[in-house]
Amino acid sequence: MAYSPINPIPDCQLTWVFGLLETLDDRGGRDDGYKIARDLNFKFGDLLKVMKTAEILGFVSTPDGDVVLEPLGKQVIESEINQRKLIVRERLKSLGLFAYLVRLLRAQEDRSLTREVVLEHLAMLLPNDPPEKMFSTVVNWGRYAELFGYNKDEDRFYLDQD
Amino acid sequence: MALLELRNVSKSFPHAAGILRVLDNISFTVEHGEFVAVVGPSGCGKSTMLRIINGLMPPSSGQVLYRGRQIDGINLDCAMVFQSFALMPWLTVKANIELGLEARGIAPDQREKRAGVYIDKVGLDGFEEAYPRELSGGMKQRVGLARALAVEPQLLLMDEPFSALDALTAITLREELLDIWQSADMPVHNIIIVTHIIEEAVELADRILVLASGPGRLVADLKVNLPRPRDRRKEAFNALTDKVFSLIEERA
Repeated sequence: MAYSPINPIPDCQLTWVFGLLETLDDRGGRDDGYKIARDLNFKFGDLLKVMKTAEILGFVSTPDGDVVLEPLGKQVIESEINQRKLIVRERLKSLGLFAYLVRLLRAQEDRSLTREVVLEHLAMLLPNDPPEKMFSTVVNWGRYAELFGYNKDEDRFYLDQD
Repeated sequence: MALLELRNVSKSFPHAAGILRVLDNISFTVEHGEFVAVVGPSGCGKSTMLRIINGLMPPSSGQVLYRGRQIDGINLDCAMVFQSFALMPWLTVKANIELGLEARGIAPDQREKRAGVYIDKVGLDGFEEAYPRELSGGMKQRVGLARALAVEPQLLLMDEPFSALDALTAITLREELLDIWQSADMPVHNIIIVTHIIEEAVELADRILVLASGPGRLVADLKVNLPRPRDRRKEAFNALTDKVFSLIEERA
């Protein structure tokens, strides 16, 4: 497996990313991030998180403060819901943090871990980012992509499909 | 025969200073397969009208006919999506969706199967065992939508479903709703959405009913003839938005 660096992921909802892609498509595929934030009454700081997330997923590029819809982003908005989830799933698997967690879960006999253990790993890997927030983002994206599941009652973070 | 017909529907409530008239003499019909938006300022009785259509409350006068028959109680052919999502916080996503089916006397194994189908349709696979507090607003409303669709209603009623959501989430959910409405294997082909966001009405609906407030009365019934998918940058889109806006403004 190719080495992929483990970077923090923005605390961002995937629904926002799809909203950004739709907005860009409506605007001919390219616009200024600042203008989009203003028009949608979205905090610029929040929009930057959305842009960053869309970029690490390969859906947009961000040259000089602009946001540009990339072919994969266009494909995402033209896909039906389950196809869209599949694209996100493949993209997540290629991100260092998610690849690491997949490997970690695969190494467990029952392919699951408690939240506490995952938090420890996150704290070691990314000491500058609050692990609780990161965990909740990982769970949300992971659930959406049907890559990870988390059962709060059983405190079980697990590999959804393998 | 029309799917739904309101004939001279009025609604008044007792009030400190006498009687408050909320809806005044509303008449319109909804044909099969129509996506209707009801727009108007707050206080024009939009939500009250939806509750009357659903059979949750009777009109003070006038009639509501569903498939030609006057409704006299909750209309089980309808399901509602709420602005506040109205999810049970102690139940998982799956249990929230099954709850509506239980209320309609559907057997447990059928409930589970049906919930599964609509969880898939709205993209909630993977979230079955999550609790509402673990979800973003957008995900919560997808649960609200799946719960309503799971009862396989003939008529879906939506009360400001995207108003509590931020702009990017609302854009995404509107697109998803249109995809669901247009997909052939969906049982629901009739939607009435109440909104105060005019662009939302123009983007989604085949027809826009404009209500004015004090008391709520129907001031316009407009056909939306713009091709789908609708482009907000097009002049025709803006012209219609402006028209609806001025109809509301004139009477505010």
